[in-house]
Amino acid sequence: MKIKIGKFLLLGALVTYSFVSFIPFFWSISTSFKTESEVYLNHLLPQHLNTAAYVHIATKITPTLYSLFFNSLFIAVTVVILHLVLGSTAGYAFARLRFPGRDILFYMVLATMMIPDQLRVVPVYILFVKMGLISGHPSNYLAIFLLKAVGALDIFLFRQYFLNIPKDLEDAARIDGAGPLQIFTRIMLPNAMPIVATVSILTFQGTWNDLFWPSIILQAPNHWTLPFGILQFQGQFQTDWPPMMALVVLSTLPILLIYLAAQKFIINMQLGTAVKG
Amino acid sequence: MATDLAEASAVRVRSRHARNIKEYVTGWSFIAAPMSLFAVLSLGILLYAIYISRYDWGLLGARQYLGWSNFTHSIRDPVFLRAIRNSLVYAALVVPLQSALGLVLALLVNSKIKGSNFFRATFYFPSMASSAAITTLFILLMTPAGLFNKILHFFGVNISNLFNQGQWLSDSRTALYSVIVLNAWTTSGTMMLFYLANLQGIDGSYEEVAKTDGANRWQILRYITMPLLKPAHFFVVTTGMIGALQLYDQAILAGGADGSPNYSLMTMVLYIYNACFRQFKFGYGAAIGLELFVIIFSLTLAQRFLFGSRAWKGDN
Repeated sequence: MKIKIGKFLLLGALVTYSFVSFIPFFWSISTSFKTESEVYLNHLLPQHLNTAAYVHIATKITPTLYSLFFNSLFIAVTVVILHLVLGSTAGYAFARLRFPGRDILFYMVLATMMIPDQLRVVPVYILFVKMGLISGHPSNYLAIFLLKAVGALDIFLFRQYFLNIPKDLEDAARIDGAGPLQIFTRIMLPNAMPIVATVSILTFQGTWNDLFWPSIILQAPNHWTLPFGILQFQGQFQTDWPPMMALVVLSTLPILLIYLAAQKFIINMQLGTAVKG
Repeated sequence: MATDLAEASAVRVRSRHARNIKEYVTGWSFIAAPMSLFAVLSLGILLYAIYISRYDWGLLGARQYLGWSNFTHSIRDPVFLRAIRNSLVYAALVVPLQSALGLVLALLVNSKIKGSNFFRATFYFPSMASSAAITTLFILLMTPAGLFNKILHFFGVNISNLFNQGQWLSDSRTALYSVIVLNAWTTSGTMMLFYLANLQGIDGSYEEVAKTDGANRWQILRYITMPLLKPAHFFVVTTGMIGALQLYDQAILAGGADGSPNYSLMTMVLYIYNACFRQFKFGYGAAIGLELFVIIFSLTLAQRFLFGSRAWKGDN
C-alpha cells in the first residue's frame, strides 16, 4: 500500500511537470490562430481557426518570411557541413595520426572553450569590418561561416569516438596499401555515423537557434535569420500577438520535427555526450 | 650476406623515416584549417581584445592610447555596476534553481516507472526551442492580461492588489526574477540529461547493499547517490554558471537594448552590446569583455577548489 501511494505521487509529479513543459507551446500554437481581440480572453482554444496571422507573416513582413527561413536554413546547413568536415578530419588526426606537437595542439583546442564569445565579439567585429565582411553583400555570410566553421567540442567528440574504433580494422586496410586519407574515408568515417548524427543535430540546433552572433554580424535585413527576425519584429508586433506567435511557431517547427523524428536518439546521444563532457 | 642485411635495414630505416614524415604532413594537413581558425579567431583575437581595450577606439579605429582608463572608468560607471550586480544576482539564483530542478527531474524519470522515456523527452523539450521563440512566448504569458495572471486570479489572487499589479516583466522589481524563472525552466531539461547520464553510470550494487543493511530511500539518496553524483554537480554548476554570466538573449528580448525597465535587465553582455553597437565605444566594450572573462575564469577556478580537484577530472 505504501509503495502504491509513492508511485501515485510520483506519477502525479511527472504528469504535472509534463504540463508545465508542454502547455506553453500549446499556448503559442493556439494564440497564433486567434484574432487580436481574442488574445486576452485567454481561452484555451481559438473560437475559429483563424489563419490571418500566418497570411500576415507570409505576405506582409520585411524581410520576407521566405528570406528569414532561407538564411536560417542556408547558414545552419553550411555550418553543419563545415563542422562535420573539419571536426572529423581533425578528430581523426588527433586520435590516430602521429605528428610532432599533437598533444599540445589538442590542449590548445580544449583551451579555446574557455574563451567566452562575449570577449571575442569586439575584436571579431572590428576584424571583420576591416576585412569588409560586415556588409549587405553575400560576403556577409562568409563572416558567420568563418566564425562558426569549427567547434572545439566536435573535435573532442570525434577524437573520443575514433579512439574507441578497433585498430585491427585500420591495420587490415593498411596492409592492403591504403593511405591515411583512404583509411579515414573508407574505414573510420563509415564507422562513426552515430557521432556524425550527434554533431549534426547539436550543430544544427545551436546554429538555428543562435541569436547573439547574427545580431552582431548580420546587419543587413536581407541576411537576418529567424531568431534575429523575431527580435526585430518584437517591438513592431508588441500589441499584435497572433502574427508574433505564428512566427514563433514556424521558427520552432523544424527543430520540433527533428526532435520528434530523432527523439529517442537525441536523448541517448545527449546522455553519451554528457558522460564524456 | 652481412652487407645485404645492413643494406636492407638501412632501406627499411629510410622508408620508415619517409613514412613518418608522410604521416606528420598528413596529420598537420588534417588539422591545418581548424587550427588556423582557432589561432586567429580564438587565441589571436584574445590578444587583439587586450590591444583594443587600451585605446579610445571608435568607428574609425584607434584614436588615442588610454592605458588602463577604460578599465578604471568602467568600475565608476553606475550602469555597468548595475549590470554586474544583475548578472551576479541572476547567476546566484538561476544556477541553484536549474541544477536542483534538473536533479529532481532526473531522479524522477530515472525511476522504473512506465513511460519514463516519454517524460524524459517531454521535460527536455523546453531546452530545444530557440531563446527567441521561448522568450517571446514567455512575454505573452506574463503580460498583465496574460495567462499567468489569469491562473493567479483563478487561485483567488487579486492582481490589482499585488505590489506590481501583475506587471511581471515591466516592473523593475520583478523583471529580473521573472527571467530567472524562465531560464531555470528552460535549462533544467539540459541539466536533467547531465544528471541522468551520471545516474545511469552508478553501480546498482551500492544501493542493493544499503537496502539489505536497512537503509531507507532518503538515506540512500543522501548518503549514496548524492556523493556519487559529485562530478555531475561540478559539471552542472560550472557550465550553468558560465552560461548564466553570459545572459543576453532573454534580457534584450524582454527588456530591449537598455534592459528596461530602469536597467533591471541590463546584464554584462548586454552592456558590451550597448557600448559597442549603440555608443560605438569599442575600446570600452573590449575592456568590459576582458573583465567578464576574468570574472568567469576566477569563479570557475573557485568552484574547482570548492568541489575538490578530483571532481574536475570527472573521477568518482
